[in-house]
Amino acid sequence: MINKLILSNILHRPIRTAVSALAVAIEVAMVMLFVGLSHGLVNDSARRLEGVGADIMVQPASSSFFFALSQAPMSMKYGDLLKNVPHVLAVAPVLINVNSVGGLNIIYGVDMPSFVRVSGGFAYHAGGPFVNPYDLLVDDLYAKANHVKVGQTVTLLNHQFNVSGIVEHGKGARLFIPLQTAEDLLQVQDKASIFFIKCTEPDYTDDVSDAIRHLLPNYKILPVKEYMELMTSNNMPFLNDFTAAYITIAVGIGFLVIFLAMYTTITERTREIGILKSLGASKGYIIAVILREAGLLSVVGIVAGCAMAAVVRKVVITYHPTLFIELTMEWAVYAALLALAGGMLGAFYPAMRAARLDPVDALAYE
Amino acid sequence: MEPIIATHDLKKVYRIGKVAVEALRGVDCIVHEGEFVAVVGPSGCGKSTLLHILGGLTNPTSGQVLVDGNDFKNMTDADRTRFRRHKIGFVFQRFNLLPTLSARNNIAIAQYIQGNGFNPHRFQTVVEMLGIQNKLDQRPYALSGGEQQRVAIARAVICDPKLLLADEPTGNLDTENSQTVLNMIRGLNKTFGQTVLMITHNPEAAAVADRTIHMRDGRIVSD
Repeated sequence: MINKLILSNILHRPIRTAVSALAVAIEVAMVMLFVGLSHGLVNDSARRLEGVGADIMVQPASSSFFFALSQAPMSMKYGDLLKNVPHVLAVAPVLINVNSVGGLNIIYGVDMPSFVRVSGGFAYHAGGPFVNPYDLLVDDLYAKANHVKVGQTVTLLNHQFNVSGIVEHGKGARLFIPLQTAEDLLQVQDKASIFFIKCTEPDYTDDVSDAIRHLLPNYKILPVKEYMELMTSNNMPFLNDFTAAYITIAVGIGFLVIFLAMYTTITERTREIGILKSLGASKGYIIAVILREAGLLSVVGIVAGCAMAAVVRKVVITYHPTLFIELTMEWAVYAALLALAGGMLGAFYPAMRAARLDPVDALAYE
Repeated sequence: MEPIIATHDLKKVYRIGKVAVEALRGVDCIVHEGEFVAVVGPSGCGKSTLLHILGGLTNPTSGQVLVDGNDFKNMTDADRTRFRRHKIGFVFQRFNLLPTLSARNNIAIAQYIQGNGFNPHRFQTVVEMLGIQNKLDQRPYALSGGEQQRVAIARAVICDPKLLLADEPTGNLDTENSQTVLNMIRGLNKTFGQTVLMITHNPEAAAVADRTIHMRDGRIVSD
């Protein structure tokens, strides 16, 4: 019967129900999408780096965990030293350029022969490798997102590039230009931001890493396997704090909406609470009615929020294929629990207030 | 016969801001089991306050209240709620039905709150006696005043309370419906032997009762 009472109350006030559930849905969707986006972008970045096919990366000591922020080129001569380390199959120098006009793009300046030796080469969807200095390779997702075709001109770094090929995504960056061109644009000579090293066998990774550390003691030697373990959203500076703040705001919104909805409900239904009390309903019964109603609103909102997150993700990746949003069951559960806890907390004070109402005053309420 | 209600020097003082309003100024009364008692008096004489105290909805300021042998002075709020759940049924002037529930659920909820679950036999007996079998799926807004009051009476007696407290049950009804409702309360009193204490300012309604208590200025002036 208590369920019938709750259901009838919810159905009797459709606007209030819809607004409350929508607020919870937005809260759940916000949490799922934000966390999904941060995890998705980090994981995509990590997967692409792994896709280069290297076993070890060598960077200057002061380089950033984020390659986009690395502005510390190393001398190309180290590349020759690295090639002579035992069990090294190939060394690919990459000079990273960052385009910030019309969006943030990381561009790999690559020496095609060595990059192909390390990565196994590009899989071309259309076109082919660079022929001219200002030729550009784009990956298929970039091409889809920006409607780019082979032969088209793209403006990057305030220069016009001709798209010579569209390649399968997953080889580090989404954009590739010749190493020499990258050097010219950065006004450096014989420099690389990073060396990708391929061992003759992956099992030699540790031995080769140790050897390089010996050889270049002041440089950052990072096995890709290790980098993959580090490259999680939990290791992103400030991201955890920002995520926590974001979740707190989202949960706060849900809490406030449920609080307001239940508080106004209590005021509106004062007389009904008086009736229940006159029938002998205990304080616990009244609290249970209010909390279960808030719980049901939260559950409806949670289901709608999960659906909303899935729809928004679909829309976002349709229009922005380079964005990765990973909606996980784990975070759906967290978001649901947070929404439920927020809803219960929001309803608690109104429920207590309802339980404490004087039955005579409540029955006389107009 | 044992008294089901016994009050001694019952007083109730309300505070409205800094003003103390004496609603009851020493009420002594005895009501025996199975009696149908009407309490009459002008507005503000303390009738409703007396009914609220007897129903355990509010505490007296001083004096003694014994209902079915239970001294309210020694009972907590939770005890009185429990007592009300099992022993008392209320009928109000404004029907006080839950607007979102059907007539059926408005009646049945009393059984669920009592904790014994739905008793279909008792339910059927009561709704047939009150002639509302065909109105059970209607919501209160779809019922006439007389029908709403009959549903409210059904809700009040569905758990077979020992004491039925009716606060101006015909106050919002026309003459015909008033008579029907009074006859039904009388019938329930006779059939189930429930004690009825009915507040009214209508002498015709009071005439249905076995006994009439007159109140004025918070006191019983005649019995």
